[in-house]
Amino acid sequence: MKPALALGAAAGAAAHACEPELRGSDLTRVESARYVLAYRSAPARIAVGEHFALELAVCGKDGAPAPESLQVDAHMPAHRHGMNYAPVVRRTAANRWRAAGLLLHMPGRWELRFDVRAGGAADRLTRNYDLD
Amino acid sequence: MIRLLLAIVLGAAVPPVPAAELLDFSADETRRILRHGPWPPPWSPDPSNRVSGKPAAIELGERLFFETRLSHDGSISCATCHVPERAWQDGRATSAGREPVDRNTPSVLNVRLQRWFGWSGASDNLWAQSIRPLLDAREMDASAARIARLLRADRDLRAGYARAFGAPPGADDEAILVDAAKALAAFQETLVTGRTPFDDFRDALARDDRTAAARYPLAAQRGLRTFVGKGNCSVCHFGPSFTNGEFADIGIPFFIARGKVDPGRHAGIEQLKQSRFNLLGRYNDDAARRTATGTRHIVVQHRNFGEFKVPSLRNAARTAPYMHNGRLATLRDVVKHYSEIDLDRLHADGERILRPLNLNERETNDLLAFLESLTEAGTDPGTTSGAKRP
Repeated sequence: MKPALALGAAAGAAAHACEPELRGSDLTRVESARYVLAYRSAPARIAVGEHFALELAVCGKDGAPAPESLQVDAHMPAHRHGMNYAPVVRRTAANRWRAAGLLLHMPGRWELRFDVRAGGAADRLTRNYDLD
Repeated sequence: MIRLLLAIVLGAAVPPVPAAELLDFSADETRRILRHGPWPPPWSPDPSNRVSGKPAAIELGERLFFETRLSHDGSISCATCHVPERAWQDGRATSAGREPVDRNTPSVLNVRLQRWFGWSGASDNLWAQSIRPLLDAREMDASAARIARLLRADRDLRAGYARAFGAPPGADDEAILVDAAKALAAFQETLVTGRTPFDDFRDALARDDRTAAARYPLAAQRGLRTFVGKGNCSVCHFGPSFTNGEFADIGIPFFIARGKVDPGRHAGIEQLKQSRFNLLGRYNDDAARRTATGTRHIVVQHRNFGEFKVPSLRNAARTAPYMHNGRLATLRDVVKHYSEIDLDRLHADGERILRPLNLNERETNDLLAFLESLTEAGTDPGTTSGAKRP
C-alpha cells in the first residue's frame, strides 16, 4: 500500500515541473516524479565504440529536495550487460554535472540510467537510446 | 544486323549465363551492411607515438621486425610468428617462441585500428604491445639492456635510430626499448589489408548501383543477410574492421592445462593497469593523453573472466586456426560452433547475446561464402598478404 501512496503523492507534485539550467535545441529531457533532467552528448552523435561525455542538469520539482549527487550508467537490457567502462561524474556547477568516459560498444537498444540522490533517497531516471 | 545474327547464333550455341541477381535487401539490412565500410579507413597517426607515420621510423621498424638479434639467443624475430606469407600470423593453434605459448598468434594486419591489443587487451597501444613479446621469457626473452646494446653497437641500426628519432640512442636502456617498440609500431601501422569483393558490393549498395552490386555472388549475399540478421554476428563483428574492439565469452574453454586457466580479459585489465607502458604513463608522447580515455575508465568486472577479444574478420579465410587458443581449425568449424553453441559453457551472469543458430547446410555454406568474400583481392591465399609495405 505504501508504494501506491508514494506514487500518488509524486503524481501530484509532477504537475509542477521545473527547468534544468541547460539551454539549447540539442537537449534530451527525462523526467521522474520528483526530478527533471536534461542532457546533451559530446560529441553530439554517439557512435558505437566511441567514447563520449554527457553534460547534464537536474532540477527538483515542487517539494523535491535539491539534487545532491548524480550517477550515470548505461545497460543493454536485451543482452543483459552494461558498459565495459565506468564513467566519472563531476559536478560543474549547482545542479549541473559532466559525465566522462562512457562508451557503448554494441549497436542496439541501450538504457541510459541516471540516479539522482537527495535527502537520503535516490530517483532513477531512464531513457532508451537506439544506437545504430 | 550481322551483330544480331551473330548474337542469335552464339546464343543458340552457348548455354545462357545466369543473370546476376541481387537480393531484395530491406532498408534496415542495407543500413546494417553499409556500416561495414568504407574500406580502407583514412589514415591518422597515433598521437601516443611521436614517430607514427614517419618514413624513417617505418624503415627502422621493418628492419627490427625481421631482426633475430632482438631475441635472447638470436634465434627468432617478430616475423617468426607474424609470418608475412601467412597473413602475418603463423598458422599454428598456439604460438611457439622460445617456448610454447598458450594463445594463438593474431595477425598484425590492420592492427593500427585496434583499441586494445592482444587477446586479453593487456596493452592500450601498439608500441606497448610490441614490447610484450620482446620481454616475454617464452617468446623473445630479450631485455631493455640487450636491445639498447644492439641499437647502440650496430652501425646500421644506430644510424636508422638517429634518422627516426633525430639523435642516436642515448644512455637510458628502457627509453631505447620503448623507441624500438615505437618504430616497430610505425611499421606495423602500414600493414593494412586491401579491398575485398564485399567492399565492392558494399560501395555499390551505397551508391545504389544495382548492376555492380549484383556481381557479388548470390551465396555471399545470402550469407551476409544471415550475418547482419538471423546470426546477429554484426553486433560484435561491427564496423569496417568487423570487430567492435571489445571482448566476449563465446563458450570456448579457457582451461590451459589441468588446474590452469586463461582468465582472458579479467587478467588483461589488471596487467594493463599495472603496466608502466600504458597510455597514462610517462612514455605516452601525447601530453594531452587524448587516446587514454579507455584506460582511465576501464573497470574489471566478474564477467570479464574468460572473455577474449572479438577478432576482425577481414582476411579471416587466411588466418586459420581460430579463437584465442586456436581450438577451431577451419572457418567451417567456427560457423558450426556458433550454429551449435552450448549455452551451458557461457557465464551464468554473462551476456545474453548468443544462441544456437541451427544453420542448415546451405545456410552454413552461404555464411562461409560471405566470410570468404572478406578476403582481399589480388593475392593468392596463403602467400603474400597484399598489405601495403613501405
